[in-house]
Amino acid sequence: MNTPSLLSPTNARAGSLACVGMGMTLGSHLTPLARSHIEQADVVFAGLSDSLVEMWLQRMHPDVRSLQSYYREGKSRMKTYRQWVELMMTEVRAGKRVCGVFYGHPGIFAWSPHKVIEVARAEGFAAHMEPGISAEDCLYADLGIDPGRFGCQHFEASQLLLFERRIDPTGYLVLWQVGLVGDRSTARFKTGPAYRQLLVDLLSRDYPLDHEVIIYRGATLPIQQPRIIRVALRDLPEAPLTAEETVVLPPARTLQPNLAMQERLDALDRQAEVDALA
Amino acid sequence: MQDTIELLEAIGRDASLRHASADELTSMLAQAQAPEALTAAVASGDSSRLAEELGHKPMYSPQSSQTGHEDDELDDADEDPHPAQDPEDAKL
Repeated sequence: MNTPSLLSPTNARAGSLACVGMGMTLGSHLTPLARSHIEQADVVFAGLSDSLVEMWLQRMHPDVRSLQSYYREGKSRMKTYRQWVELMMTEVRAGKRVCGVFYGHPGIFAWSPHKVIEVARAEGFAAHMEPGISAEDCLYADLGIDPGRFGCQHFEASQLLLFERRIDPTGYLVLWQVGLVGDRSTARFKTGPAYRQLLVDLLSRDYPLDHEVIIYRGATLPIQQPRIIRVALRDLPEAPLTAEETVVLPPARTLQPNLAMQERLDALDRQAEVDALA
Repeated sequence: MQDTIELLEAIGRDASLRHASADELTSMLAQAQAPEALTAAVASGDSSRLAEELGHKPMYSPQSSQTGHEDDELDDADEDPHPAQDPEDAKL
């Protein structure tokens, strides 16, 4: 703690903000730089999903303020997130070095870290984000998926229901927060099988109902293993799911060659050969 | 003697421990005179009660769904901006 910094901040205004990621697994993922931000801060705000991880963070700094208490069943999460922004900005405006610590990556499925950085910069304070190892990163490792092989789409599950989106079943489809799918209030912490059935109905346009889907949850504690359950798409509504679980649909179709573009590439290659000989 | 959080951090940062079997970890924890709750969690594969035994409450998963609500108007009138911590309010 209070590790001396080699450089003094040269902020236009006193007060600064860093939003850092804690990674997913206690002890395994916190980067040296994120830890340094925590240790050098005047005040630390914690948006974490596991109380043991929060206890670990408290060992790193004497003034860790949990953001958990602002959640409330029946209260809009957007209201909670705005409160978080104000809490952090109050300390930044008071001239403090503020560190917001969020589980996983602070900028993935995370509204308030992006917002508070935007607000701080607009008011002339130094503010930036340090990445962390995200649930998505763990998913690739634990499920053996390379998103570069067939491509990979990511959606918050509710977005698929609320908006017209184009699903590509030749690549991987990763759906986040399926346990909350269809919650338009942002005030609930789970929905239920009837809501997930709507999602299955939508997905069945592109995937057969017996298509295998993977329900995934990474390890938060280093004594845990990732939770990986495979079910048929039709059984997704009744499968036990929380907001922390992610649903992955492997490709259902093979990649289709784009013959028109391949012909155009052939033409370009032929022209390049002609130009080389000229 | 290390406490539960220290031991979890030690396991998490050690390549030979992070993916060790439950038997290997249980043996290591016994040698380290680890708290009983931690050893039991490793042996049973159920860490769900570990946090409870350490006196912490279950937690919401932060930063959940936000689709379509980013521009919602904030109504401050019906919310206490500084609610007291209440373990009964929190559930996963």
